[in-house]
Amino acid sequence: MIIHLERCIGCQACTVACKFQNSVPDGQFRTKTPANGLKGTYPDVSLYFIKEACQMCKNAPCVSVCPTNASYYNEDGVVLVDVDKCVGCMYCLTACPYDARFINKETGAADKCTFCYESKVSKGEKPACVSTCVGGALMFGDLNDPLSKVAQYLAKHKAEVLKPEFGTHPTVQYIFEGVVK
Amino acid sequence: MDVIWGVSDNHVAWGQLIAIYLFLAGVAGGAFLTASLTELFSKKQQPKVIQSGAYIAVVSIIVGLGLLVLDLGRPLSFWKLLLNVNMGSVMSIGVFIVSGFTALSVVYAYLIWSAAAAQKKIQMTSANTVVAAPSFGQKVQAFRKPVAALGVLFSLATATYTGFLLSDVTTNNFWNTGLFGIDAIPFLPILFLVSASSAGLAATLIGAFRGTDLTTYKKIDMVLIIMEIVLIAILYLSVKPIFFSGSMGTLFWLGVVSVGLIVPLLLSIYGILKHKNVLLPVCGMVVLGGLSLRYFVVYTGQLFR
Ligand code: SF4
Ligand code: SF4
Ligand code: SF4
Repeated sequence: MIIHLERCIGCQACTVACKFQNSVPDGQFRTKTPANGLKGTYPDVSLYFIKEACQMCKNAPCVSVCPTNASYYNEDGVVLVDVDKCVGCMYCLTACPYDARFINKETGAADKCTFCYESKVSKGEKPACVSTCVGGALMFGDLNDPLSKVAQYLAKHKAEVLKPEFGTHPTVQYIFEGVVK
Repeated sequence: MDVIWGVSDNHVAWGQLIAIYLFLAGVAGGAFLTASLTELFSKKQQPKVIQSGAYIAVVSIIVGLGLLVLDLGRPLSFWKLLLNVNMGSVMSIGVFIVSGFTALSVVYAYLIWSAAAAQKKIQMTSANTVVAAPSFGQKVQAFRKPVAALGVLFSLATATYTGFLLSDVTTNNFWNTGLFGIDAIPFLPILFLVSASSAGLAATLIGAFRGTDLTTYKKIDMVLIIMEIVLIAILYLSVKPIFFSGSMGTLFWLGVVSVGLIVPLLLSIYGILKHKNVLLPVCGMVVLGGLSLRYFVVYTGQLFR
């Protein structure tokens, strides 16, 4: 997934679409797009919104610490939670540096963004947040395929991952071009 | 939680129950260690110390496990931890260490209890010169030393794993701290092992203080306190000052350092110089210090990331 921050207007359509798509319990979120501060003084005032969700790490600490293998990589490298295996020990919550996980109030199991794998991506559709995005800030595709739109987009823009110092190797790419960090 | 302005409510995934569990598992390990090492190596007969340690170990670990299960998002599915194994996860390995430890401490406590019960019976019946045939309880006494010896290993493993559980979270800058900043040597397992031995020993002595000579134990306790002071000083110097700020900073200076280490050490020295018996307050404070340490480490690691 690519998130082009300059295009995000903070409308929360993605936040709401995700709640619809995944029946996320009241007060809980798989994704949200909060404002990143409001910095500076006139005429140099800056404000941008930054979508938060699971970063789909290639070296995911949530998977390695999980005692029951409930957190796992599926065949496409997407990090998922097997609700049936999960005991709700919250070890993965302490290990995720992006605060992407929570304990689902209804199931008692760990929950997080799935890239809408079952309901959308496995059927060739885009995740709910991506297809609803009003500003066109979200792009989804296979970054390993050099011919894909996302790969070509990344070739033209400079992207970063969040908190690279933890060595988690996220696959979600953020483009900060045009926003004042 | 405000979705748009991102005002987070600073939640922690692991709270009090986990802190208390880590403390109880440490006390259980330390108490078992005190009892079993006494059984195996002490020249003096110390039945009180052995009893106290064995009983404290079994009660602490069972209460601790109860809290741990209660803290799960799905308490009734705890048994899945035994079926699905991930050898790369410290928690998964810990499940087996703690299960083994719990089983051994139940067996050991039973053996100690049946020996004590038989002792009483002999005292009561000896007046009538009736010597009963050796009962089941007496026959199994032969297992005491092997159980104690195996238990030593499992107590050490239990106390140490509580540290590895946290230090293995590589994305947590505080828990993941290495000894002298060397990442390959995690710090918390060492600190928790020393603290567990000290708190477990102190708890055992509280249970055994009447009518026994505990001089050797008091000396060991002082050595452990001094070791812990050195470790805490190393920790203080090797991580960022932010970890010692706010309410957790207060807990650190008051609970961990003052009540848990400095005051009991000074009081023990005073006790030795003036020949006063200060065992109860010293041990009480050491135990409290152990609890404060677990709270401090569990919360600080999550609050400042
Ligand atoms: S962002 Fe968190 S939950 Fe998602 S894969 Fe990475 S560590 Fe796991
Ligand atoms: S809460 Fe569930 S998914 Fe997370 S580590 Fe525990 S068992 Fe694994
Ligand atoms: S991909 Fe699906 S589950 Fe993930 S944030 Fe978007 S809508 Fe939610």
